[in-house]
Amino acid sequence: MAGRALIVAIAVAAFFIAPHALAEFHLFQICLVAGTALVVLGLIVVTGFAGQISLAQAAFVALGGYGSAILAARWGIPLWAGVPIVSIGAFVVGFVLGQMTLRVSGHYLALVTLAVTAIVQIALIYSDNVTGGAAGMPVPAFEIFGLTLSTGAQLYYVIVPATAMLFLAVHHLNHSHYGRALAAIRQSETAAELMGLNVLRYKAAAFGASGFLGAFGGGLLAPLSTYLDPAQFGITQSVYFLAVAVVGGMMSPLGALVGSIVFVLLPDFLQAFQTYLGLVFALLLLGFIVLRPEGLAGLRLPKGIVAALPRLGGERR
Amino acid sequence: MTERLLHVDSVTVRFGGLVALDNVSVDIARGTIHAVIGPNGAGKSTLLNVVTGLYRPSEGDVTFEEESLSGRAPHLITRQGIARTFQNTELFGEMTALDNVVVALDSRYACNGISAALHDGRWRASEAEARGEARELLALVGLSEDQDSAAAALPFGKQRRLEIARALATQPKLLLLDEPAAGLRAAEIEALNRVLLDLRTSRGLTILVIDHVMALVMAISDRISVLNFGRKIAEGVPEEVRASPEVIEAYLGKKAAHAFSA
Repeated sequence: MAGRALIVAIAVAAFFIAPHALAEFHLFQICLVAGTALVVLGLIVVTGFAGQISLAQAAFVALGGYGSAILAARWGIPLWAGVPIVSIGAFVVGFVLGQMTLRVSGHYLALVTLAVTAIVQIALIYSDNVTGGAAGMPVPAFEIFGLTLSTGAQLYYVIVPATAMLFLAVHHLNHSHYGRALAAIRQSETAAELMGLNVLRYKAAAFGASGFLGAFGGGLLAPLSTYLDPAQFGITQSVYFLAVAVVGGMMSPLGALVGSIVFVLLPDFLQAFQTYLGLVFALLLLGFIVLRPEGLAGLRLPKGIVAALPRLGGERR
Repeated sequence: MTERLLHVDSVTVRFGGLVALDNVSVDIARGTIHAVIGPNGAGKSTLLNVVTGLYRPSEGDVTFEEESLSGRAPHLITRQGIARTFQNTELFGEMTALDNVVVALDSRYACNGISAALHDGRWRASEAEARGEARELLALVGLSEDQDSAAAALPFGKQRRLEIARALATQPKLLLLDEPAAGLRAAEIEALNRVLLDLRTSRGLTILVIDHVMALVMAISDRISVLNFGRKIAEGVPEEVRASPEVIEAYLGKKAAHAFSA
């Protein structure tokens, strides 16, 4: 317990020191990592924990970004309220989409979710009176307590705590009967069903959670990028999120964070290879699938270091 | 006449042209151990899959405590009080033995989602209660030492017993065992027999066991039904079934049946 309190104290201290120690650009990157990690966390819940492949994540991100921006532009609902509202809406959409798992699984489920992404992108292009069509729309400023947050350094105070809280909630849920049920369903759906678990409802809830987290991440990333256009939310983007999850590690929330750090920061170190960035990501993805299917978060630290670390909350499973 | 717990009423199951069960009726009285035996492919596992809701009967009906189970989802049938084990064990391999049992307890103990997300006091209490009961169930089948081992790492005999503990966690009135003795050594079968007889006396459990290991079936069953090619060919107390010419024929062939009756 003392070890855990120490870690929380260090994290809170680091959170308040960082804005004074880091440049604006780095704070922007931290926000980008946090938002991306939230989106990928949704994918880890549905694909990693529940074992249901989803390529609909870009659609949920679009829903969160566009949804909250439209609520703000048309009805004057501020983003701090709009983002959670739209995320709850995305949970419902995900839950309904999850009902599909009753009929399809595996490759077919991948295709259905892929189609969802394609449909949402086309809908964004053709509803140009609301979304601005292919040209896109600007994102209203993030206003809270009479303050206007527009730069990375300002949005940092919203994005990072929100991400941290949602990560903690997912970690807790994963170490409760929800996580146990999803693990059971992943390992033997028949046995899970015959233990009295409502398998369809759990799978649908996992899809709902992926929708909620995807939309929340999308809603937080939108004011950071200040402009939305349909090209940001295509099938390629869904595959990109899946790649982040695979490289980071599918089986723990930590994987979403590690993967996002790699994929957000890597382009800066590879300035010279800018043209071949897609190739680098593809090789990275392939390498991890073949050599390290557990991802970066699944790598084992040397035993000595692990023993020296204080136990990080809860019983291990 | 004792009270009827499960009533399989003229059930037929067809897979395309194949008739897996042909107009089979079986009654299981409360508090008894009832065995269904028969050669491979006789339809024994199909019968269990019909009772647990994994298969829908093409014709006929299954009633449990005089309520029809037809069209009901498997997880609801489980909650109604029917639990089962699997022929080739269907444990959650990556999870510990304890968590395998806790999963089955969750539908009774689980707290609400907000408590689970916060890991608050209510969550801690429900978790502690579920773990406590899971430890008791593991002790009942003699697996207290193994609670933290991954289920897949346990030897086969222990996996079998873990499946029984997990099934008991759903608080069944009727326990279905699919070939619990297959692949077990003689000493392990005796241990299993004792566990099953004890469950019936201490918990008032009704047990339907499917097997062709005679050492188990003959020693513990109150009543035996015999299936062959999807049809019920005999039923009675163990001595009657053992003497039945149809049963000897099904197991050993026609000539043997003549030799026995001669």
